Amino acid sequence: MNAIAEVQGIKKTYGKTQALAGVSLAVEAGKVLALLGPNGAGKTTLVKILVGLLPPDGGSARLFGEDPRRPAARRRLGLTPQETGFPPTLRVREVVELVRAHYPEPENPRTLLTRFGLWNLKDRLTARLSGGERRRLTIALAFAGRPKLAVLDEPTTGLDVESRRGLWQAIRRFAEAGGSVLLTTHYLEEAEALADRVAILHRGRLLALGTVAEIRDQVGLKRVAFEAETVPDLPGVVRVERSGPRVTLFTADADRLVRELVRRGVPFRNLEVSPVRLEEAFLLLTGETGR
Amino acid sequence: MRAFFAHLRAELIGLLRVPGFLIPTLVFPSMFFLIFAAPYLKTWPAANQTTASFMTFAVFTVVFFQFGVAVAQERENPWYAYLRALPLAPWVRPAALVITGLLFALLAAAVVGGVAAATTPIQPERAAPLALFAALLMGAIPMGLFGVALALLLSPRAALPVANLVYLPLSFLGGLWMPPEVLPGWAQRLSLYTPTRHWGELVWASAGGNPWPLRSALVLLAYTLAFALVAAWAWRRGRA
Repeated sequence: MNAIAEVQGIKKTYGKTQALAGVSLAVEAGKVLALLGPNGAGKTTLVKILVGLLPPDGGSARLFGEDPRRPAARRRLGLTPQETGFPPTLRVREVVELVRAHYPEPENPRTLLTRFGLWNLKDRLTARLSGGERRRLTIALAFAGRPKLAVLDEPTTGLDVESRRGLWQAIRRFAEAGGSVLLTTHYLEEAEALADRVAILHRGRLLALGTVAEIRDQVGLKRVAFEAETVPDLPGVVRVERSGPRVTLFTADADRLVRELVRRGVPFRNLEVSPVRLEEAFLLLTGETGR
Repeated sequence: MRAFFAHLRAELIGLLRVPGFLIPTLVFPSMFFLIFAAPYLKTWPAANQTTASFMTFAVFTVVFFQFGVAVAQERENPWYAYLRALPLAPWVRPAALVITGLLFALLAAAVVGGVAAATTPIQPERAAPLALFAALLMGAIPMGLFGVALALLLSPRAALPVANLVYLPLSFLGGLWMPPEVLPGWAQRLSLYTPTRHWGELVWASAGGNPWPLRSALVLLAYTLAFALVAAWAWRRGRA
């Protein structure tokens, strides 16, 4: 086991709400772990416990083998702040300097700001940054201390496609150079693009933990999609989705379903059989049918 | 240490860029002094005492609001939760805040002193400067703790109005605006129970080159302990 950070059986209750009901998982060296889950699933609580902001009610958290509440344990940890809170009267460069001052071997400010496209904004007050610029600054701050583990909380929420891809590239490069990442996200696409492993949290419990492929297998379904005016009731179909003329059926046995479609003479076009996408696996696992 | 200076620097430049902080803090006590006190000060003992009163008032303003209300706002702001998650020894940020507060408090007091020197017959050489500094500090600590306690006990929205409701009467009853002898009778009786009055007693004694009245020093220490306990209790309650 090569765990950079791990939690074991952690529990946390706020009043009557159980935010975490015994969750265990580990971030491995040089790997990207994505933490997925709907709002209120317990992602933020888990992250807060892992970075030492909250003590768990039960279970244990370890960061580089130490108690994360000890400041020394966090010397190789970088994390993103929430973008709403920057001190408005400080300039970009000053915020970076403040964060750098906490680390033994921080990143060169110019290198850091250039990497996230912020060097030409270094003298701007944070209050005057646009939403996307603020978001990029939050991520730059996670890397200001040249960490071994970066904890990125919803890193690309609200970014345009181009910035998002740029950022994914930066995160991938960090992982390729041996860095570990724990990232929380709403975007399944992001988890698919970046994560070695995915953990799905729902109502304080770990529903699934594994590679993207393993999560798909865990759901064990195939999607059969085609265009048709009407579809009869078919055996073995667990879910039907329709958008315009396109129909998507979820089933454990795609071969049998296709034979049945042919046998009943359903006039389908553009047939497509594929494994479920992570998004669908996610919805099926959490029982949130969405839409 | 590097982190301590980084926090100190960030606090100082952050505040220096906010005119809404600097102007009221540094100018209001001196302005009140110029309008309500300076024209009536004809002798050096009166000038020394009243100048010391307004210096105390200036320090009170900074520590009470800078600590009280600012701490309440920090508690709500996610940026400070982020700072707590950095590899930072727990004393660093409070120490930086205390030093920042004291620097501005002394600056505000110095402005009052400067204005007094220019407009009244004060005789600074009659005062005991070290004792005066110590006396200002003796009260700054409990009043800062009082501000923190209030801020932790109240919602951030209520903190500012309630702080004003406490701060103005305490300044008046403590004899910081006019000497306690000229307060109405009911106010004179209440005055003896306020921390500001005993703070004033120490400051006035030092301004005239006299030793501190022991009783007032003890009362201030008792207030310090009481406010520290309430603040600590409120802090724990907020964390749970």
